Amino acid sequence: MNQYIELFQNHRELIEGHSLPLQNSLRETAAKAFSRLGFPSKRVERYKYTDVPAVFAPEYGVKLDEPVKNQQIPDSVARRYGTLADVEGDAVTALNTMLSQELTVIHIPAGEHRQQPIRLTRQLHSTVPLMQNRRLLVVVEDGAEVSLLMSDQADEEQDFLTTQVTEIFVGKGASVEVYDIERTNAHCHRFHQLYADVSEGGRFLHTSFTLTCGLTRNTTNVRLSGKGANAELLGAAIIDGQQHCDNNTLIEHISPGCTSNELYKYVADEHAIGAFAGRVLVHKDAQQTESHETNSNLLCTPWARIYTQPILEIYADDVQCSHGSTVGQMNDAALFYMQQRGLGADEARLLLKQAFTAEVLQRIPFEPLRDWLRNLSNLRFQGDLNHCRTCQLCGKS
Amino acid sequence: MLEIKNLHATIGGKEILKGINLTVKPGEIHALMGLNGAGKSTLSYVLAGHPAYTVTEGSVTYHGKDLLAMSPDQRAHEGIFLSFQQPVEIPGVMMYNFMRAAINAKRKASGQEPIGATEFRTLMQEKRKLVGLDSHLANRGVNEGFSGGERKRNEIFQMAMLEPTLAILDETDSGLDVDALRIVAEGFNRLRQADTSAIVITHYQRLLDYIRPDIVHILIDGRIVKTGGPELASEIEERGFDWIKESL
Ligand SMILES: Nc1ncnc2c1ncn2[C@@H]1O[C@H](COP(=O)(O)OP(=O)(O)OP(=O)(O)O)[C@@H](O)[C@H]1O
Ligand SMILES: [Mg+2]
Repeated sequence: MNQYIELFQNHRELIEGHSLPLQNSLRETAAKAFSRLGFPSKRVERYKYTDVPAVFAPEYGVKLDEPVKNQQIPDSVARRYGTLADVEGDAVTALNTMLSQELTVIHIPAGEHRQQPIRLTRQLHSTVPLMQNRRLLVVVEDGAEVSLLMSDQADEEQDFLTTQVTEIFVGKGASVEVYDIERTNAHCHRFHQLYADVSEGGRFLHTSFTLTCGLTRNTTNVRLSGKGANAELLGAAIIDGQQHCDNNTLIEHISPGCTSNELYKYVADEHAIGAFAGRVLVHKDAQQTESHETNSNLLCTPWARIYTQPILEIYADDVQCSHGSTVGQMNDAALFYMQQRGLGADEARLLLKQAFTAEVLQRIPFEPLRDWLRNLSNLRFQGDLNHCRTCQLCGKS
Repeated sequence: MLEIKNLHATIGGKEILKGINLTVKPGEIHALMGLNGAGKSTLSYVLAGHPAYTVTEGSVTYHGKDLLAMSPDQRAHEGIFLSFQQPVEIPGVMMYNFMRAAINAKRKASGQEPIGATEFRTLMQEKRKLVGLDSHLANRGVNEGFSGGERKRNEIFQMAMLEPTLAILDETDSGLDVDALRIVAEGFNRLRQADTSAIVITHYQRLLDYIRPDIVHILIDGRIVKTGGPELASEIEERGFDWIKESL
């Protein structure tokens, strides 16, 4: 961890000279918090499935002199930077706040409806091991609507370490859909800390698709702070080889009458490791809460591992909540049945995997994205993901 | 076309088939009857290549080829179809996609092009009508939420789609109501060709009133102990199995 503090101390001028003042205002606080916190060991509850110190241990290059994007950021938006993210409590968030120079701000004024998703594609590209710290601030004002399509990709066989902190403010009656698609490779290590706050009557959909990865840790925190706010968290992870995917979510019901729905599904093949910890916290005043959480997992080999931990904590008395998780294996009887009809063993397995993740896909409301993700998942299951070079959405055309 | 010689098979270390001999010629229908637990389903599973069973002795040839050396899907491509006693539910795998994959797998194995979308839809519709399968069932997951009888009907629908040369029907009649039994059996009869054969496993004469067997076998404790004509089935219906056991 000292390497990061030294990096900050030794190059502070360069870092601050190549970022927006907005980001610099929080660096000192973040650096102090990071020094104090240090990287969490596996004994820290929220990080018990991912060895964070080990991931940050290797030496990575960091580019500190990228030109600053010239952005006009209204004060009302800038004010919000760092107010939702747990800069003082989460070490990875602190580290990102201390070092990050890459800030993207998305501001949707009140009442504006964006029809097309805003695309944020990150193509990792480097000739040396590289660390990137990305920052995203999304402010969607009252009654506005937007969807964001984030896609992380990496072509080369290069070691990458990326951190991203995303803050999303969903205004009253606003609607925000976030699609976070990862299709990197075995050499990528990724942390994505997302914080969302949903105001009265607002709606927030978060869809996380881990199609390919190395080591991934997604932390998703959603506060339902206004009355009648709604959150839906969808996730699918298709992992094999030595891939490691850890999704950690927290949904806080703070105001009355809010609803949340969460569905995460993992297909773990070969020696992959998947972890899911989803905590739903219903505060004292959050009466008439409705919350449902499910995590289902398909283990395709005896070596793959899944850790699952749905947690429900309720301090209100008028609530309707359910949570559950399952871990199952390939259904041998179904496999035999399909083979009896002439399908090869591989094809039969493929159909079972597709059927398993279909439930997540079905819940994606935006049809073009649903079809695109279905196609990508199918290609992924067939081991052909990187052959999709022609389609628009992949950004590879 | 099917020749089973001295077939022994075990599951979980327990011998279930203890020397089966059975020859099925093209165009023939054989009925297989016997008490619960005699090994009828075991025989059908072994013929279809279920991996849980181990063949310890004997041989099975189909059209002169060593059936036991083939994987379950290869056997299907060779024309073997098993209508399961308890068809499994496969949630999320759509009937439509499943049947298309099955047909294309068979086509691929014989060097044919995949079936076109329009041709496939027409085929589905035609065969669906043959066995009276509701269209909404064909749009669901495989057996997903199907009643017991619907599952059996779905088995014969799949048989109609795949046009096997040897169909093994394992208690297809159980779970079907009287009308459904007639429809399914008539559908089956219409699918028959001069050179297609069937092994029909059943406990009841009723199915055999529709599907007239040429030969009836009685399986007891892993062996075929008696073989006769259609009259043997009626005799079982009347007298049960004890008289056969006593004569052993
Ligand atoms: N996994 C297993 N381990 C041990 N014995 C088994 C196993 N599976 C099946 N058997 C036994 O094999 C025997 C034959 O079963 P099978 O299903 O072939 O009978 P069947 O003739 O089809 O009976 P039914 O008329 O009830 O359908 C039974 O005694 C059954 O308990
Ligand atoms: Mg049986």
